[in-house]
Amino acid sequence: MQITKLKPVFYVLAVISGIVGIVMYFSSIFSGFFFILLALIIYYLYRLLATDLKTVKSDIIPLLKNLLIPLIGMSSAIIIGAIIMALTGYDPIKAYKALFYGGFVKNWSISILNATPLVFTGLSIAFAFKAGLFNIGAEGQYYIGAMVATFLGITFNLPPVLSLFLIFIIGGLLAAAYNFIPALLKVKTGAHEVITTMMFAHIAKYLSSIFVRGMGGDSAGLHPYVTDPILDTNWLMRFKSIFPSANYRVHIGILIGIGMALLVNYILYKTTFGYEIRAIGQNKDAARGQGISVGKNIFIALLFAGFLAGFAGVTQVVGLDHKMYENLNAGYGWNGISVALLAANHPIGVIFTALLWGVLDAGGQYMTRTTQIPNSIVEIIKGIMLFLIVARYIYSWLGNRIKRKLGTRIKKSGGAK
Amino acid sequence: MNKVFKTLTLLIVVTLVFGVVFSSCKKKEEVVEAAPVAKPIVAMATDTGGLGDKSFNDGSFQGLKDAAVDFNLDARVVESKQQTDYVPNLSGLAEDGAEVVFGVGFLMADALLEAAANNPDTAFAGIDVWIDPSSAPKNVQGLLFKEQESGYIAGVVAGLLTKEHASVSDRLNDDNVVGMVLGMDIPPVERFQAGFYAGVKSVNPDCTVLSVVTGTFTDQAKGKESALAMIEQGADIIFQIAGLTGLGALNAADEAGIAGIGVDVDQYAVAPDAIITSAVKGITQASYLTIKDVVDGKFVGGDNKVFGINEGATGIAPYHNWNNIIPGVVKDAVDKATADLKSGKVVAPASRAEAGYEG
Amino acid sequence: MEAFFAIFNTDLLVATIRLSTPITLAAVGATICEKSGIVNIAMEGMMIMGAFFAVIIAYYTGNPWLGLVGGVAAGGIFSLVHAVATVTFHLDHVVSGAVLNILSFGIVRYLMVLFFGHPGTTDPIPVGLGGYQFAIPGLSKIPVLGPMFFNQTPIIYMSFILIVGALFFLKKTKVGLHLRAAGEHPLALETIGVSVYKMRYLGVVISGLFSGLAGAYLSIENAVSFTEGMSNGRGFIALAAMISGGWTALGSFAAALFFGFADAFQIRMQIFKVLPIPAEIFIIFPYIATVIAVAGLVKKSRPPRADGIDFMIEREDG
Repeated sequence: MQITKLKPVFYVLAVISGIVGIVMYFSSIFSGFFFILLALIIYYLYRLLATDLKTVKSDIIPLLKNLLIPLIGMSSAIIIGAIIMALTGYDPIKAYKALFYGGFVKNWSISILNATPLVFTGLSIAFAFKAGLFNIGAEGQYYIGAMVATFLGITFNLPPVLSLFLIFIIGGLLAAAYNFIPALLKVKTGAHEVITTMMFAHIAKYLSSIFVRGMGGDSAGLHPYVTDPILDTNWLMRFKSIFPSANYRVHIGILIGIGMALLVNYILYKTTFGYEIRAIGQNKDAARGQGISVGKNIFIALLFAGFLAGFAGVTQVVGLDHKMYENLNAGYGWNGISVALLAANHPIGVIFTALLWGVLDAGGQYMTRTTQIPNSIVEIIKGIMLFLIVARYIYSWLGNRIKRKLGTRIKKSGGAK
Repeated sequence: MNKVFKTLTLLIVVTLVFGVVFSSCKKKEEVVEAAPVAKPIVAMATDTGGLGDKSFNDGSFQGLKDAAVDFNLDARVVESKQQTDYVPNLSGLAEDGAEVVFGVGFLMADALLEAAANNPDTAFAGIDVWIDPSSAPKNVQGLLFKEQESGYIAGVVAGLLTKEHASVSDRLNDDNVVGMVLGMDIPPVERFQAGFYAGVKSVNPDCTVLSVVTGTFTDQAKGKESALAMIEQGADIIFQIAGLTGLGALNAADEAGIAGIGVDVDQYAVAPDAIITSAVKGITQASYLTIKDVVDGKFVGGDNKVFGINEGATGIAPYHNWNNIIPGVVKDAVDKATADLKSGKVVAPASRAEAGYEG
Repeated sequence: MEAFFAIFNTDLLVATIRLSTPITLAAVGATICEKSGIVNIAMEGMMIMGAFFAVIIAYYTGNPWLGLVGGVAAGGIFSLVHAVATVTFHLDHVVSGAVLNILSFGIVRYLMVLFFGHPGTTDPIPVGLGGYQFAIPGLSKIPVLGPMFFNQTPIIYMSFILIVGALFFLKKTKVGLHLRAAGEHPLALETIGVSVYKMRYLGVVISGLFSGLAGAYLSIENAVSFTEGMSNGRGFIALAAMISGGWTALGSFAAALFFGFADAFQIRMQIFKVLPIPAEIFIIFPYIATVIAVAGLVKKSRPPRADGIDFMIEREDG
C-alpha cells in the first residue's frame, strides 16, 4: 500500500488545483473550470488507486442522486417560467438566452458581487436555523457591520492587512453584539427572536440614515447623503491584482465567504458546540435531557449568527462600495433567508445557492436591458425554483401516483388475461 | 472532511458546467447583439426605486419617450434591483450602443463616474446627481434642480391662502397652520421642504409649518396617517414631498375636506377638488433637453447643469379647479415671487439650516 | 411639555385603530392558522395579493365592494398554495412562507406591467371604500369610544366583528375545537376520525382570507390605488403581533393595537417637535417600544404544541 503514503501529495495537488481554478473562474477566466476538473480527477484518481472502483462508484452515485432533485426543480421552474412568458406574449427563448448569458458569462462578475453578501447572510440564517432559531433580522446586523466598517475604514490608519483584519473582526463582533439584547431576551424571558431581531433590523436601518449624515458628505454640501470614502489602505484586495483580465470590481470577499462556509461547516459537524447546536435545533427537550445547556448555546448561536451577517456588511463596504450610502435598499438580509432555505441550511450548499441567486439577479438585469422583458419574471422563477427544490415530497408523491396508475393498469391487463 | 470535499467539488462542477456551456454560446450571442439597430438608442437606468414612482424615474423616462418620438430614437430603460447593478447597467447600455445614458437618482453618482470613465465615447447624464467638475470625465453631466424654488412658490400660495384668504374656499380654515409630509429625508426632499418653509414665512411669518418624515416612498397608509395627524392640528393645506407615500397624504386631504399641494409633476388628477397646485420639477424637460443637446451635437460634459426657474424647469403647475377660487392678489404675489427668484432678488434656501427651520 | 400632553387626545386613539387594523386582521388570521399547527410567515405576500386584486377588480368593475370580495378571495386562493405545500406536500412551513412572499412581489409586479403598462402604482379606482364611513347612530356619540369604534369605515367594522368571530370560533364551536386539536394533538384528533389535513387547510385558508382583507383595507379603503411596497412590512409586524400576543386572537389584537398606537404616537411626536432630534429616532420608536413590551410585559407564552410540525398519515385509500 505505497499509495496511501502519497495521500498528502494528492490532496495538496487537488486543493491547489481547485483553488487556482476557483480564483481563475471568479476572475472571469472560464478555463479555470479545467483546473477544478483536474482537482476532481486527482482526488478520485487517488481514491481509485487507494481503494477500488466499487468504493469510488458508491461515493459518487449517492452524490449524483442528491443533485437530481435540485436539477429537476431548476429545470421545471425554468419551463414553468417559459410557459408564463409565452402565455403573456414574451419570447422565452430570447429571455433565457439573455438571462443565462448575462448571469454566467457577460456579467459573471456582477453575479459574484451579488452573491458575496448573500453567502454571509445565508450562512448566518442557516446557522441560526440549525439551532432552531429564525434570525429574520440579518438585515439589521448587515447594517451594523456596514456602519462599523465605514467608521473604522475612515479612521483606521494601520498597516493594510492588520487594519482590514481588525475591521472584519470588530465589525463582526459589534454586529454580534447587536444581537446581544435579542439573545438575552430569548434566553431570559423567552421573547421570540423573530420579533426582537426584526424590530432591531428596522431600527438599524433608520439608525444608518443618521449615521450616514454624521459621517461626512463633501464640502460642497450637494451630495451629503453618502459618507466620506474609506481610506485606500482599507480596501479589500481584488482579483484584478492576481489576474489582470478579471473585472476590476470583483473583490476577494467571495473567497472569505467560502472560507467562512467551510468554517461554519466545521463548527457544525466537527465540534461539540456544533453537535449541541444541532441537537437543540432538532429537539430542545431531548437536548436538555442529554445535559446540554440550551440557554447558553442558543445565546452563543444567535450572537454567532449576528457575527456572520455583520461580515456581509463589512465585506460590502471594504470590498465594493468603499463608503456607505443612505437608504441602501439592500435586502441582503431578507434574500439570505431564501438562500439558506434553498441550501437546506447546509453551509456548503449556501455558497452555491448564493451564487445561483447572484446569477439570476445579474442575468435578470441583463435580460431586461437587452430584451426589455420585465425583470419580475425572474422573481417568479426564483420562487418556483425554491418551491420545487425544497419540496422534495412532491417527487415521491408524484412517483407514488405514477406507480399506482401503472399498477392498476397492470392489474387490469392482468385481469383481461 | 471527505464528504464535504466531495460535495463541494461536485457542486462546483455542476455550476461551472453551466458557465462553460453558456460561454461557448458567446460568439453566437455577440452576433445577435451586434445586429444592426435601425434607430439610435437613448437609454436610462433607474435606481432601486424603479419605474412607477410618479417622480424622477417616471419623469425622466417620459423625457426619453418624448425625445424618441420627436427625434426618431429608440428609448430603453432598465430598472436596477440593487446597488451592484448600477455600474453594469450604465456601462451595458453604453455598450448596447446608446447615444446617451441617464442614471437617475443621487445614489447613482459614483456609478455614473465609473461607467463614464469606462465608456469615454458615450454621453452620460445623472438626474439629481452632482459631479465634481475638477475630476469628472468630460462625457458626464450632472443635472440638478432647484427644487427649493418650486417649494418656495408653492409656499407663497399656501402661506397666503391658509389664513389671509381662507374665506375663498370652505376647504380652508382659520387656523394659521400648514403641513408637509416627507418621504425619506434625502437631498431633493429637503430642498423642497426648505423652499416651502421659506415661501410660507415670506408672506405669513406667523404661520405654523408642520412636517412629518415617514421614512418611506411607497407606504400610502403612512402618508395618509401623517397628513391626518397634521389636519387634527388645524392644517388646511398639506404639501406632499413623499412620492407614492404622498398619494395617501393627498387622499387624506381630499377626504378631510382640506387642500393639498402635489409634487414633482402636476398631480391635479389625484384629487381634482383638493389640489391647489403642484410644486413641479422639470425632470422630463431636463432629460428631453439633454437628448436634444446630444442629437444636435451640443452636449458638453464634465460639469453640472442646474435647472431652475430661469430655465423654466421649476415653478408650480396650473391651478385647474382652483383657478377661479384663488384671488387675484395671491396670483399677483406668485408672479412677484417668481420674478424675484428669476432676477435673483430672492434666493430660496436649499437646506433646512439655511431656511432656519428645525423640522 | 404642554405640547407633549396635547398629543394624548381622542384623535390619537382613532388613528391607532386605523393604523392597527391591517395588522390586527393579518395577526388574528395567522393566529387561527398557527392554532391549526401551520406556521405562517406569508401574511405579507397574502396582503399584497389581496391589496392588488382588490384594486384590479374594483378598477374594472367600478365597484369597491366587488373589489373587497376579490381581494379577500385572492388572499384565500393564494393561501391555498401554502396549504397545499405544507399539508399535502409536507414542505417546511417557513420555506413555503418565504416562497409565497417572494412570489407575491414578482407576480404583482409582472401583472402590473401587463394590466397597466407600468410598475409602481396602479391607476386610481373610481370609488374607494373610504367614502363609506358610517357613524352608528347613538353609539358614536359616546366620548372617546364613540369615534374610536363606532364611526369608522367598513373594513374596520368588519375587523371588530371578525375578532369576536374568531374568538367565538376558536373557543365555542366544534370545528374550532378540532382546529385547535390539529395544532396540539394531531394524532389524537385523527384517531377520533377528524381529518387533520382538513383542519389545517381550513386554518391556512382562513388566514389567507383575513390577510387578503387586510390588503384590501390598505388599497381600496385607506387608499384608492395599489402601490408596490404599500404593505411595507406589515405582514411581518403582524407575525410579531401574533407571537407577542401569545398565539391568541385577543392577544394579537392587543399587540396590533399597541403597535398602531406607537406609530400614531411617533407621528404626533414629530409634529409637536417635542425633542430636537433626527426624525428617524421617532420613526424607530414603535420598534423599540415593541421590543420593550415583548421583553417586559409579555408573559412567557408558547405556541401550539404541534405548531410547525409536519403531520403525515398513510391511508390505504389514498
